Amino acid sequence: MNDSEKSQLVFRVHLVTPFGEYELDVNGNQHLWDAAQMAGISLPAICHQGRCLTCAGQLLEPGEFDSSDARSYYPQDREAGFILLCTAKARSNLRIRTHMQTEMRMHRQKLGLPAPYA
Amino acid sequence: MADQETVKPGDVTRRVGVEVIRARGVDVEKLIKMLVANAAAEFASTYYYYTILRMNLAGYEDYKEICEDARLEDRAHWELIVPRIYELGGNLPNDLKAFHDQAGCVAAKLPDPPTVVNILTLLLESERCAIRSWSAVCDMTFGKDPRTYDLASRILNEEIEHEAWFIELLAHERDGKSIPSGHFRRGEPGEAPYSKNRGFYNP
Repeated sequence: MNDSEKSQLVFRVHLVTPFGEYELDVNGNQHLWDAAQMAGISLPAICHQGRCLTCAGQLLEPGEFDSSDARSYYPQDREAGFILLCTAKARSNLRIRTHMQTEMRMHRQKLGLPAPYA
Repeated sequence: MADQETVKPGDVTRRVGVEVIRARGVDVEKLIKMLVANAAAEFASTYYYYTILRMNLAGYEDYKEICEDARLEDRAHWELIVPRIYELGGNLPNDLKAFHDQAGCVAAKLPDPPTVVNILTLLLESERCAIRSWSAVCDMTFGKDPRTYDLASRILNEEIEHEAWFIELLAHERDGKSIPSGHFRRGEPGEAPYSKNRGFYNP
């Protein structure tokens, strides 16, 4: 199945937040942050460009997602399981820990990569 | 007050102006990081790149003029906020690339192809990021740090106007629709009626 076909599917996304755990169905063409917002789950974000890292989450188990809408996302971020929820789209079912901006900034700093607000 | 306990008479190593807002609940270190990131966005992500965008609006003299207003007002925002970073005990990175990389908004690089619609779209999304960034500073400081709040809200006022301008222009140019910004004029380019503390246009 190619990416275009996957974008037409609906995926099950499990969010682990500091204030509880949530399950939601997310369309493959929808940004995860937007889907959470529509479900009444308020997650942090500022730029909505995939740049500032405020919306960062981290995968709790392997999963697929499309990060092509993020304007500042590196292969090392994906290797470490970090995901920018404001611009990422699900390509498989996902389990994500939210509110990981501090951890993602530290990860970027260690690698000498841009880390806004760090 | 808490600052009287922490800042002794004659002590030049601490600032009452900082301790009073810390005592009111402001995370001063986090605020400084946000202001540096926003200053980087004003200077590096917009002012610098808007210069290039403006150069490439050939044939659209009206759009060029409005881009120039936004460009110079973003520079005014940079000038307005940098002193506050130092007042709070922060500083700017002594390396331009490091500074650029701290920007919380994407650099407004000339789009490919550099069509007027692509440029207006980029300008619009840049302004939207600025609105979100300055709103975050307003939220952090409201009711606690009136000086930073005042500076941030002045900047936010202009960013909101910029968004309205580029919505109007993009809707007209791309969609053939009229979505008025609600604004009639600026004076000279870069007037910055809020962030340069001039009287508002209110005839």
